Amino acid sequence: MLRATLKGMAARKARLILTSLAVVLGSAFIAAALVLTASIRATVDDLSGDAYKGADVIVQPVEPENRGDRLVRDGVAAETLAAIEANGDVADVSTTVTWMVNALGEDGKIVGGFAPTMAVNWGDESVEREMREGRAPEADGEVAVSAQFVTESGLGLGDTVTAYSLSTDETPYEIVGVYGYAGGRDSLSGSTELAFTTTEAQRLVFGGEDVYSAVAVTAADGVDADELLKALEPAVGAESEAITHQAYVDDLNAESAEVTSVIGYFLLGFGLIAVFVSVFLIANTFSIVIAGRLKEIAMMRAIGAGRGQIIRSVLAEAGLLGAAAAAVGAGLGVAAGAGLTSVIANGFLDTATTSVAIPWSAPLAAVAVGLGVTVLSALVPAVRASKTPPVEAMREAVKADKPITGITVTGLVVTLLGAAGIILGLNETFGSDDANLIAAAVGAGVVFIGVALLTAWLSKPVVALLGAVWSWSFAGRLGRLNASRNPRRTAVTAAALMIGVTLVTATATLLTSVKESLAERFDTTIKAELFVTGPVTASVPATFDPEVMDEIRAVDGVEAAVDLYYDLAQIDGTEQYVNASSDIEGAVTQFGGVVAEGSMKDLGEGEIAANDAAAEQLGIGIGDTVTATFSRGTEAHEFTLVAIIADNEESDGFYVDPAYTAEFYTPKPNMALVDVADGADVGDVTAEVEDLIADQPSVSVQNHEEYLSQVTVFFDYAIIAIQLLLALAMIVAVIGVVNTLVLSVLERTRELGMLRAIGMTRGQTTRMVTVESVTIALFGALLGIGTGLLLGWIVQQALAPTGIESFAIPTALIAAYLAASVLVGLLAAIAPAVRASKVDILGAISYE
Amino acid sequence: MSTASPVKTTAVSAEGVWKAYGTGEAQVVALRDVSVQFASGAFTAIMGPSGSGKSTLMHCLAGLDTTDRGTVHIGDTPVTGLSDKALTKLRRDKIGFIFQQFNLLPTLTAEENITLPAAIAGAKADPDWIKKIIHTLDLTDRLSHKPTELSGGQQQRVACARALASRPEVVFADEPTGNLDTRSGAEVLRFLRTSVDEFGQTIVMVTHDPSAAAYADRVVFLADGQIVEDMTEPTADKVIDKMKHFEELVAAAQEAAA
Ligand SMILES: Nc1ncnc2c1ncn2[C@@H]1O[C@H](COP(=O)(O)OP(=O)(O)OP(=O)(O)O)[C@@H](O)[C@H]1O
Ligand SMILES: [Mg+2]
Repeated sequence: MLRATLKGMAARKARLILTSLAVVLGSAFIAAALVLTASIRATVDDLSGDAYKGADVIVQPVEPENRGDRLVRDGVAAETLAAIEANGDVADVSTTVTWMVNALGEDGKIVGGFAPTMAVNWGDESVEREMREGRAPEADGEVAVSAQFVTESGLGLGDTVTAYSLSTDETPYEIVGVYGYAGGRDSLSGSTELAFTTTEAQRLVFGGEDVYSAVAVTAADGVDADELLKALEPAVGAESEAITHQAYVDDLNAESAEVTSVIGYFLLGFGLIAVFVSVFLIANTFSIVIAGRLKEIAMMRAIGAGRGQIIRSVLAEAGLLGAAAAAVGAGLGVAAGAGLTSVIANGFLDTATTSVAIPWSAPLAAVAVGLGVTVLSALVPAVRASKTPPVEAMREAVKADKPITGITVTGLVVTLLGAAGIILGLNETFGSDDANLIAAAVGAGVVFIGVALLTAWLSKPVVALLGAVWSWSFAGRLGRLNASRNPRRTAVTAAALMIGVTLVTATATLLTSVKESLAERFDTTIKAELFVTGPVTASVPATFDPEVMDEIRAVDGVEAAVDLYYDLAQIDGTEQYVNASSDIEGAVTQFGGVVAEGSMKDLGEGEIAANDAAAEQLGIGIGDTVTATFSRGTEAHEFTLVAIIADNEESDGFYVDPAYTAEFYTPKPNMALVDVADGADVGDVTAEVEDLIADQPSVSVQNHEEYLSQVTVFFDYAIIAIQLLLALAMIVAVIGVVNTLVLSVLERTRELGMLRAIGMTRGQTTRMVTVESVTIALFGALLGIGTGLLLGWIVQQALAPTGIESFAIPTALIAAYLAASVLVGLLAAIAPAVRASKVDILGAISYE
Repeated sequence: MSTASPVKTTAVSAEGVWKAYGTGEAQVVALRDVSVQFASGAFTAIMGPSGSGKSTLMHCLAGLDTTDRGTVHIGDTPVTGLSDKALTKLRRDKIGFIFQQFNLLPTLTAEENITLPAAIAGAKADPDWIKKIIHTLDLTDRLSHKPTELSGGQQQRVACARALASRPEVVFADEPTGNLDTRSGAEVLRFLRTSVDEFGQTIVMVTHDPSAAAYADRVVFLADGQIVEDMTEPTADKVIDKMKHFEELVAAAQEAAA
């Protein structure tokens, strides 16, 4: 039997190659994801190992609990440094002073996008820097800059650069040196850097206090890291902590491991989707191949082959194919993973060296998944083949379609079950919000599967409808008829395509709805037309001089203008947003807020107002007291709650008197809201306000749309990322369309020969196959778009209570997908159509 | 296409046609110097032992295959040397085909299959003519059926109707009754006979069956790629008789060739 299997496989090379391509791609993606994850982790680990290389103990300030990166940092005090230096076990000490700054480039704009600009002291030895041109900064007015900064700012040696921080105003510095990093790199992880003298760095980072971000200590000869740690304990004191270099690196690694494993699971998830799609393709191929061999199988059954033997022969074929393809896929995947690692490492991490790690799990999982999926996918066709009655060998060649009632009934039941889950979830039948959300989400997933099962049943009417478009050409009509000729086959092919399109459409619909909801709420609640604010990605939050406010108020056509300061403070032990304004009532009004309880008039010292969500979170009411510590605050203040503002999603948290802004993260206003008078020209006002803030580099004038797009640009990236990750699943689905068409054309060789004999031209043949292809592709895309919209709507409805109230359809994306599906249909048809038009008429019509 | 014409024109003719398959040792000469004419409005059968070149001759005549040497004409049109496009058009407009099986498109109804050549040509079939054929073939109440819902005989009758639907200059049939039982076969043959007698159709049919050949006006015998006998007004008995002496005929032909 095995010999017969092998011979059969050799005779069907083309379709085997197409089928195995799907398995190869799926396995390769899985192997690549695993190798990539492991390699990035190894590379990042090397990177953390490079930090403070050679030091034995690192002394750093104790991070207060619940304090995120946005907060002002503490430092290691000068006395602590002196005590460390005086210790007999210490051979060498190096200090680091570093934090984010804003620097202005040649064009006067803040340098850098997503990666921050860092200030450091040149004496810092935590990373190896190599001076390329010029010299180290020796005076406070001098700076050395990283090569990456030169590239991004357009400034160079001898130029003057303006920089400022949370604690300093804009200050000009002369660029006296340009440096790179070990390994000839221009940058570390894409960031730009400015190196100052230690005192100037302390002024920028700590407002001039003689403190340090970290102190790296090297042990004297014969003292090991643990001994040094013990010896330093009395010197370090309570405000700082000492850890060994090893512990420091381990901490960094543990942090990055969390991120890399999330990336890894993400990649694996998309790999599995691609594998899932290839299940359809493989099952379809085996079904078609077996359908073409029914007579042969019936003949074998007639001469005494048992059902088990038939199943085994099909599964043996699947096993051989799966093993070979999975092995090739694993190999390719490992290679691709290794290659991608260096691309990512060089492109994004800016590491000097990349470590490629190939965990055993990568090839093993790839082969196991590839082989398993192939054999499992072939199981149903194999069992069906074994049920072929021997009389089939004597039947006529032309056969009626198999009924699809079973699969349709199952599909209906599954869809209804899913719908029930959704309805129960959306109607909040269950006790908790979580349970309702889960019921709706699981229901949505079940509906997805149900629709996939219903594709066979849907294919007839939908294809007929699509066919109306093609009926102008007879060849087109034949192609359309061919597409609906075997609903099961068309359905499986289209379903493979549907999966990717559904996922993209559903995410895009949801994200568009979120965007739309945000925009709508924003437009209805916020009175101000214009915002004076900076990019959310700046190293230091955008600020401007408070004096500008009066000038803005004086502009013709400005009804009102309010400034706004904000801070992330600790209130009763929780992180909360705190706002302040020279006109708090005005600010609340501009944000569409309404005082629900109490009064905000004369909000003075020791008084605080809260949004009702914030008040509810802390469980406080009017008259209650809270303690708050601001970002730069050294001590906690007591406040009495005097007003509660009705829930308003746009303004968050608490309001205090502007007197406290000195303790805020940034002591200057972060934003101004400008209310344009009715009848005044918004464009004119914008231009005038722009002139007023021309010398304030970190802020610009934005309207609602511009302001929101800063927040929502992330969603656009997310949609693009998901599409990229789904590209593989889409490619597998396209291979599926090609495969189905090639097999169908092979199967219909006689028919094509007959058509050509009675006068069908090559062009008509090509058109016929192309129309079939485009119809299948469009059907898949339509199903995907329909299901995706439905799923998107369900999730949006489920999330409506959290504020996602509008449902928006991503029309451009949908149009693009429809167009793309036509293109895919055209491309997929090329090979099969050429094959069909070149059918050897004589060979096709000769009696076998 | 009138039977009234006193001078019978030639519908199909072959002049010195040679056809060989393969090269060198493995070469098989399927047709050696075959010259033959088929008159308009006549029903000709081609007979001969298996492998004698019947199908090859028919394919060459119908422009489905190229000749190595010699020329073929359909009416006044030379077939030899035409491009694929011109050949396709020729087949579509001037030739009808009936194969042994796989004649019909399973996706189309009987009626759509009958008008298939016209549809491919983007033309409208003559409705009166189609009605007439359908009536003659007794297919009137089967028109909306798909091929899978028809018996083998009915399928073959639909194929006949399709072959005649565009009023081709000649209909080629390669063993049209090969897969049918005697009764269904007889129905098909009777129809072919009728179409010659009543509509003046030209038919060239390859067959193994002497009683099928008996429906024809003339029988051409092929052996080893050559025409060895040309019989007019055949009867089953005459044909059987001739086939009995086939060995002698072949030997004589080979002698003549040598
Ligand atoms: N494509 C081909 N390649 C090689 N040889 C061929 C090919 N087609 C036909 N032949 C050979 O040419 C000769 C004539 O074949 P042809 O099919 O015309 O015979 P036939 O008279 O129709 O036979 P049958 O009654 O069995 O159908 C045979 O010897 C056959 O083996
Ligand atoms: Mg033959």
